[in-house]
Amino acid sequence: MMDFKTAAITAMACWFAGTLMDLFARRTLALKLPAFALSFAGSMVIVWFIASYWIVLDRPPLRTLGETRLWYAALIPLVGFLVEYRWKISWLKYYCMALASFFLGINMLHPEVFDKTLMPALQSPWFVPHVVVYLVGYVLLAASSVAALHNVSLQLRSKSNETGESVAHYLALLGFVFLSFGLIFGALWAKEAWGHYWTWDPKETWAFLSWLAYLGYLHAWRYKIDQAKLQWYLALSFLVLLVCWFGVNYLPSAQNSVHTYTQS
Amino acid sequence: MRTSLMGSVQRRWFQVPWEFRESALFTIIVVFAGFVLQYSGAGRGVIVPPLPYNAIILLLFAVLTLGIGLSFKDNPTVKWFGGIPLGLCLIIAIALLSLIGGVVPQDGFMEGSLADVLGISRIFSSWPFALTVLFFLANLGIALSWKLVPFSINNIQFILFHAGFWIALSCGTFGAVDLQRLVIPVEEGQSNNLGYTMGSGKSEELPFSVFLKDFALEEYPPQLFLYNPHTENIIVDGSRAAVQVHKGLKTSWKGLAVEVLEYLPSALPGKYDEPVVADRAFGIPFAKVRITALSKSHEAWLSTGSPMLRPSVVDLGGFFLMMMPGQPKSFLSSVSVTSEDGHQKNALLEVNKPVEFMGWKLYQMGYDEKAGRWSKLSLIEAIRDPWLPIVYLGFFMIMAGNMLFFWNGIKQKGGE
Ligand code: HEM
Repeated sequence: MMDFKTAAITAMACWFAGTLMDLFARRTLALKLPAFALSFAGSMVIVWFIASYWIVLDRPPLRTLGETRLWYAALIPLVGFLVEYRWKISWLKYYCMALASFFLGINMLHPEVFDKTLMPALQSPWFVPHVVVYLVGYVLLAASSVAALHNVSLQLRSKSNETGESVAHYLALLGFVFLSFGLIFGALWAKEAWGHYWTWDPKETWAFLSWLAYLGYLHAWRYKIDQAKLQWYLALSFLVLLVCWFGVNYLPSAQNSVHTYTQS
Repeated sequence: MRTSLMGSVQRRWFQVPWEFRESALFTIIVVFAGFVLQYSGAGRGVIVPPLPYNAIILLLFAVLTLGIGLSFKDNPTVKWFGGIPLGLCLIIAIALLSLIGGVVPQDGFMEGSLADVLGISRIFSSWPFALTVLFFLANLGIALSWKLVPFSINNIQFILFHAGFWIALSCGTFGAVDLQRLVIPVEEGQSNNLGYTMGSGKSEELPFSVFLKDFALEEYPPQLFLYNPHTENIIVDGSRAAVQVHKGLKTSWKGLAVEVLEYLPSALPGKYDEPVVADRAFGIPFAKVRITALSKSHEAWLSTGSPMLRPSVVDLGGFFLMMMPGQPKSFLSSVSVTSEDGHQKNALLEVNKPVEFMGWKLYQMGYDEKAGRWSKLSLIEAIRDPWLPIVYLGFFMIMAGNMLFFWNGIKQKGGE
């Protein structure tokens, strides 16, 4: 198996070089494709690492926080590339690659004990769909917040930016869809594993809160509240998601939670 | 043109059409009234009557909501009552109350403390939460009535989302009293028909009894540890991997190399320190290791120990090389369940694989963790939730709406 440090540094180097080359590609168009190939290769290195890690562990690497960070690092840049492809917006991918590098950086600073065991409650056909749907949702909403933050900064410099606003909106909408599926899959799984679909466990409560945050956003948008103001809302909503994702472990209410990721 | 929050600044209070200010005021009054009710009931919380009364109340509530929505479609107050501004304010109120529940521990408070009396330590069964949810359902129900009648297929996405959520939320909350969860402890070779409520410990007779034929627990392979008894720390090596024992395993800690020469998953101590292979029912894992430190090596047997047997460890002068039993991989109970009228069913209960019996679901819940693999006790949970099918109906409607939303979201943007 590839060693994690090598993989992480290779990926970050790819992203960094790809970004530099992409900036030069503004003048020299021929660099456009190699720049993309390089950035894309960065994510593929992490995908490759996840695949081999999966084989070595003999279980999906989705159990610990560090393991989920690997998936974010691989997937967030891909959202940036898709947005560029679909919307011709190139700045989002820079933020996405920076965020991905940040996640890899955390993993390099806090190496985990790698452990093959999977407790019985996690051995379920629901485990993979539930966590993967949530991952995709978080990735989209992270990208949405990044876009919203960019829009806010443009507003502060009094530049209008309608496409940027619709990108943030569209990513939030898709993220909400995945969040809803994740929430319901979680409920259906909880019924099989713990006996009841909803127990207001802190993790569930926070998942519900983050879902409400985006539900509120969608209705405010429907009600035609000024889209420019909603960019602030979108940028800040991600904070709730972050608490849900890894802040819950540190809350006083979570001492008996069945959901906290293994701290190793 | 975009109308904005600011657009309402010119309006006087309560000038029609009502918007956010009136909605916020109303929501604050609802939450406040909830806290007053909670306080005056000395923190007792909401009590919903069981079936069939809760179903009747809910049905009346639904008819009333839809009736008001449809009969007073053009009344400005009703229009406001079923509108997005009030919906948003109520969503924020539910979010803030849930936030309390997400931060403050939801048990273990002192009886009679202020947090208890205000329902903060039991927020999800408190009056403020219940009242807010009730008005949320009324608001949502009225919005729904307008899209339901006259029915149009164009509204199907809206209906699936909003009706699905209405059904899941109302039936989940009104039906919570009818949920029964009882823990049945059974020893191997015995049967039991008494279930205990978690927390209160009250026992209740079940309409069936559970006979435990066998409880079995499978473990992951044991793990090797280097243990420092002074700091009570486990020392991890460079790769930071938890070391699972298997034959041929080579691992090292600073200046110390360990190789597993032989691994017996199940054995008993024999003569001359050599373990002998034994049946899984009695045996424990043994591993023969070669330890090399400072270019000297020696061999020794390690074992995990059991309630009857002391573990064998290797003393390395201040440190211990130990083998710990693996984490539980699976545990299951082979049971036979018999109803009062003689109906019988054999079943294997396993985590994540509950079994249905006479409207109850039986779950493998736990065992005697001190005894681990040798536990003769199995804890089985029996759960009955008559409202489950209708709550699930709501879930599936939301998921169907979600799929349409996903699809239309793409189409919408693709068309622009
Ligand atoms: C508080 C009560 C609620 C009210 C008053 C309300 C009202 C509305 C209204 C009027 C619309 C615009 C529909 C249209 O333009 O055709 C809407 C859209 C939407 N609502 Fe709600 N809603 C509420 C709660 C909810 C809940 C709980 C959910 C989630 C299960 C939800 C999910 C949606 C979605 C996804 C949309 C956008 C998609 C669509 O237009 O169908 N709403 N809502």
